[in-house]
Amino acid sequence: MRLAGRRGFFVWNAAPLKRRIDIGVLYSRSGSYTLLGEACRAGALGAIAAVNADPKRSIAFAAVERDPAGRSEAYAPLAAEILRDTPARHLVGCITSWSRKEVIPALEKQGGLLWYAAPYEGFEASDHVVYLNASPNQHLVPLVAHVAARFGRDAFLVGSNYIWGWEMNRIARDLVADAGGEVRGERYLPLGDTDVSRLVEEVRATAPDFVLNNLIGPSAYAFYAAYAALGRDDPRFRPDRRPIVSCNLTEAELPSIAPFGEGHLSCLPFIHAGEASPSSSFEAAAHAAVTVLADAIEAAGTDAPDAVRQVLAAAPHETALGAIRIDARTQHAALPVKIGRIAGTRFEVLEESRGSVEPDPYLSHYDPAATFRPSLRLVR
Amino acid sequence: MSRRARIPNLGGARAVVLHRPHPGIEALARQLGAIGLEVTEAWPDLPASAVGADFLFFDVDLGFDEQFPWAPGEAPMPLVALIGSEAPGRIEWALAQKADAQIVKPVGSAGVYSALLIARRAFDERRRLAAEIASLRERVAERQTVVRAVVALSSRTKDEDQAYAQLRALAMSWQVTLEEAARRVVDLQSAEGSHERPRRA
Repeated sequence: MRLAGRRGFFVWNAAPLKRRIDIGVLYSRSGSYTLLGEACRAGALGAIAAVNADPKRSIAFAAVERDPAGRSEAYAPLAAEILRDTPARHLVGCITSWSRKEVIPALEKQGGLLWYAAPYEGFEASDHVVYLNASPNQHLVPLVAHVAARFGRDAFLVGSNYIWGWEMNRIARDLVADAGGEVRGERYLPLGDTDVSRLVEEVRATAPDFVLNNLIGPSAYAFYAAYAALGRDDPRFRPDRRPIVSCNLTEAELPSIAPFGEGHLSCLPFIHAGEASPSSSFEAAAHAAVTVLADAIEAAGTDAPDAVRQVLAAAPHETALGAIRIDARTQHAALPVKIGRIAGTRFEVLEESRGSVEPDPYLSHYDPAATFRPSLRLVR
Repeated sequence: MSRRARIPNLGGARAVVLHRPHPGIEALARQLGAIGLEVTEAWPDLPASAVGADFLFFDVDLGFDEQFPWAPGEAPMPLVALIGSEAPGRIEWALAQKADAQIVKPVGSAGVYSALLIARRAFDERRRLAAEIASLRERVAERQTVVRAVVALSSRTKDEDQAYAQLRALAMSWQVTLEEAARRVVDLQSAEGSHERPRRA
């Protein structure tokens, strides 16, 4: 398709002639997961600025921003509006699976492509989405393998009451069984609920070896605080004995739980090592999304989504997540896997994969025997 | 029967798509590949290797009985119907094949994974029920044999209850079903009878 000339136009930016490409940015700046939306937004806007300032790039991005304000029902109409009323064919956006699933029909109808930068629960491979953050074989599976080998196999599963928590805990039940452990309890809190006292009592009564946390936002912050209080009261529940482990807790939220997160674990594709930016895996993944998009538009010579999809997987991309490849079959990124322990508002890396782990969003290649045998490299 | 939820293991499963090349089903092979299946496309003839496939997707619009090397409804794997025209005759034909799930064309990213899981579950359930029905039918057909065996045994015991208990004990010691034990008893009885007859004559 020869859309580029029609929709883009030329602007002077520094010396070289750059072709302007509009892209949608769809992150919530208020609501229960504001910090994650802000982290991704910072990553996307930072990468847009970097592309625009790069004299070797032939394109310049113009952000078309909309704010769904944490309301899941607002995402689809705003996505449709961007695709209908502006030249943008690509959206960087969505944090929750709920909002992503709302947006997909609009993308299908109007031929748009969503660049999704949050970790999610897998079991999806829409050709209208490029998945830049981890799915379960890149977060939950290595995390359970890590803790089962070091702390014990019995788990307590907690989550916010929606698809992320349900699906993550469903996978975790299988993983725990395959590791030879048992699930001591499984509890859900409504989104935004901070009454965690009963939950903590149940954890105390059942004394699992670790707690898998799939709570989000304020519920998670309340849980870490209450669990720290339990640990002060009963040393069996200190993080070096029975840690809380997560796949979505990043540096973006550590200031909100400090000092109660100390010693607990997360499994992430990126851990902040002191550089100026990005400072969390959400930010890094959104930054990488824009970089890969810029590479692909330059390689395809157009921003037409079909053409962009064709060239996505052709070569590795130098991004904020490191050198990453996109798998053509699933449109998911191959990513590093890092297990970090909270120290202040940072993570210490405990273990990391050798190179990138190929995406397997449907866990079609999950092998219990290989998983529960150590395979990651020990850093310290 | 309790069935623990498991991570559905589809990696390396083989799917055959019986459909002529068409833009409306392009997304199907892509999606099956993304899920981790090996895909073979065929039209109009099924390759011989299709008999060993784990799933068969078939075109309802242009499909016909002779494409399949098995009688209608007796496919050895889960079937997923690819429905374009919803003409009642075509739906009826798909039903006669005993499709376990369906996808409406044009195929998109959504629907393929759920069709796989639904088809496999429905197929397994259908097979389990068929085996159970066959075994029940066999038992029903042997009712008369059981009656004859109990009558034969009761000639040596006090009453029919004892005869029935004895038949069960025989089945257990021979490690066969009650019906099979009854058949053996009846066979022995008639063998004895055939020996006896000449002496009496």
